[in-house]
Amino acid sequence: MDFRASPAQQILVTTARAFLRQHCPPEVAQRLALDERGFDEALWRRMAELGWPGLLIPGELGGSDGSLLDVILLVEEMGRVGLPGPFIASAVVATSLALAAGSPAQQKRLLPELAAGTRLATIALVEETGSFDVDAVALECTVPGQLSGRKLFVKDAHIADDLIVAVRIGGAVGLVVLPADRPGIARLPLDPISGEKLFEVTFDRVEVRADDLLGAVGAGEALLASALRAGALARTAEMVGGAQRVFELVIEHAKTRVQGGRPIGGYQAIQHACADLVRDVDAARGLLYSAAWAASEGRPVDADVALAKAYAGEACLAVARRGHQILGAISYCEEHPLHLLHKRIQAASLDFGDAQLHLETVARAIGLEGRP
Amino acid sequence: MNFDFTETEHAFADEVRRFLRANPPETFAVDGMDAGYGSGANSRAFMRALGAQGWISMCWPNAFGGRDQAMFMKLVLMEELALAGAPFGPLAGVWQTADAIIEFGTERLRHEVLPAVARGEASFWQGYSEPDAGSDLLALKTEARRDGDHYVIRGHKIWSSHAGIASHGLVFARTSREARRSRGFSMFVVANGTPGMDIRPIRSLTGEVYHHEVFLDDVRVPADLMLGPPGEGFQALLNGLDADRFWGRFYKAPSLTRVLRQLVDYANTTKVGGAPLARDPLVRRRLAAIAAEIAALRLIFYRTGCMIRDGAPLSYETAMAKVYADETGQKLARLGMDLLGVFGTLREGSRWAKLGGQISHLYLTTLGHTIAGGTAEVLRTTVAVRGLGLPAEPKTAESKAR
Repeated sequence: MDFRASPAQQILVTTARAFLRQHCPPEVAQRLALDERGFDEALWRRMAELGWPGLLIPGELGGSDGSLLDVILLVEEMGRVGLPGPFIASAVVATSLALAAGSPAQQKRLLPELAAGTRLATIALVEETGSFDVDAVALECTVPGQLSGRKLFVKDAHIADDLIVAVRIGGAVGLVVLPADRPGIARLPLDPISGEKLFEVTFDRVEVRADDLLGAVGAGEALLASALRAGALARTAEMVGGAQRVFELVIEHAKTRVQGGRPIGGYQAIQHACADLVRDVDAARGLLYSAAWAASEGRPVDADVALAKAYAGEACLAVARRGHQILGAISYCEEHPLHLLHKRIQAASLDFGDAQLHLETVARAIGLEGRP
Repeated sequence: MNFDFTETEHAFADEVRRFLRANPPETFAVDGMDAGYGSGANSRAFMRALGAQGWISMCWPNAFGGRDQAMFMKLVLMEELALAGAPFGPLAGVWQTADAIIEFGTERLRHEVLPAVARGEASFWQGYSEPDAGSDLLALKTEARRDGDHYVIRGHKIWSSHAGIASHGLVFARTSREARRSRGFSMFVVANGTPGMDIRPIRSLTGEVYHHEVFLDDVRVPADLMLGPPGEGFQALLNGLDADRFWGRFYKAPSLTRVLRQLVDYANTTKVGGAPLARDPLVRRRLAAIAAEIAALRLIFYRTGCMIRDGAPLSYETAMAKVYADETGQKLARLGMDLLGVFGTLREGSRWAKLGGQISHLYLTTLGHTIAGGTAEVLRTTVAVRGLGLPAEPKTAESKAR
């Protein structure tokens, strides 16, 4: 066993940390959260120059030949600064789907531009039930044919060039990839506390062509499940990175904030709370790395991902809440970085499956019989 | 990164599993109660069987009769033993004492004690705590006075686990008065039965004997039974405590996994109101959540194990891991009690006891885990001060004066 990142991964992390500290300080993250469009093209281009959007994509398609574990380490750094934007939706989830299911023509059309960061894609999965369960996909579609209905909580739909839409085709789950500007598609913004850009996407008799189909109809469920696992892992990495940053803010504060003649970190009430924070972050990170490593090795990771996501959701939110308590009134202010990290962790804990969904996967994996 | 075992480690795990199939743990006579830590009951017969396999001494240098195996093999062994519920209670303590003897033991300790350890015939009680020295260990009063080539030990030790069935005590005593409070302590390896040593059982809340108190009434021990340099015992003990927290809790996660499997089986086969308990969404969720916690706990220990293997400096890791292990164990015991309801309150051997009555036993024994070997409070302070660099609470005038 070895819990250490490889030298190449350490370089990736160090580079990312320095880059993000410089280019995405708290005031930038906050400005983008409050801004309606909330997308910093210049920052995205710089990230593309570093090869990040193409990390999962093979070199011959313009990518940088990384592993999912590399991506996870990178996203952890993004989570640390609360970096907003389409990285997970486009460079992780949509890219995974295009890699796993795209026809040669689709891959050639999508992947080099996704790798270069000049094309953005997102996934439209959730419907009115609010569920990320693949079984909950109900939107009917015929291929070729038409699509009418709606998807909710579609991330960054306003800047996406392509929407990968999970649909039912004759009862089976399938995926279609549609240009976002195809007639009949409308994007209506939601207003989440996280400042993430989420949309209701409506489809009004949208034309679906035969070559819009992404992957075989029968394979849709497995394809989607695999992409959702990648998304869940990436969101877990974001939570762990965010919680790590909260933890650092708290420790710095506990060492420097003086009350009653000594730093508040000198009081056991604060010390013991801090001891729990380091446990929460370390434990969540262990499960994350172990699941990401197994996924990168091509091992079955259904349960590992579910464990990691469910655990991190609980643990990292606990860190954020305790962070507010220790940092006190200042953390209630909009200009303080904590609330945004907290809201991001909260959003991430629900995206690609909440604790309920993932713990049900775990329940089956540990041998509990009979789904209720 | 790599989260798998090496081929050698996998092969060894298979070998241990084969051994356990051929020698079912429940067939070994038990000498001391299972205190719920995960290393099972104290069975001298099982320790001798481990000794016969060469597994107790496998990581010692060849010169000491070992086979120079990598430290990780011990983790593999303990994990398999704990998953099987084997009664290897003294193993972790025995390993630590042997390592200390190999590192700085006298020739006499090396020749007299190590071979017995390797055979599974020696085990050690810890003579650290005293009636007025618990978390504040340095308040201890036991003194060892030099008398020629002997020391004469006088004092009163308490909370020594399985002292009545061990072969030796590790007695921590003051050997000189020095200005610095943490200096002047030494450790002695004292054979049970040495004249002047009176070991008395303390009946625990489970109804069985686990702890003992030991009265040392001018116990004469040869000077070369001192373990480590004279007067430097406290630093050695501190290092030992770090190891103790790791080795003494490493098997918690696999052992909780074993209990969890039993609870899953219970939920699958027990009907409440006509439907299996396993169909209750709350039961599913609680069992799944603790499974995630146990998985996280296991990785925390393996990560720390890698750091120890690689010689990386430890700060908060073992203290944090111990608290986490102990609190997770308490949580699982509570969950078990909830699932079993009134049946959970029945003791082993009672009519209608479920799962062998072990849940009520686990519930009671785990209460002690956040107290023994460093309370959760002391250890959280250790994590914060030693690990995170938070300032220590100021000493009171009274404690400064001592």
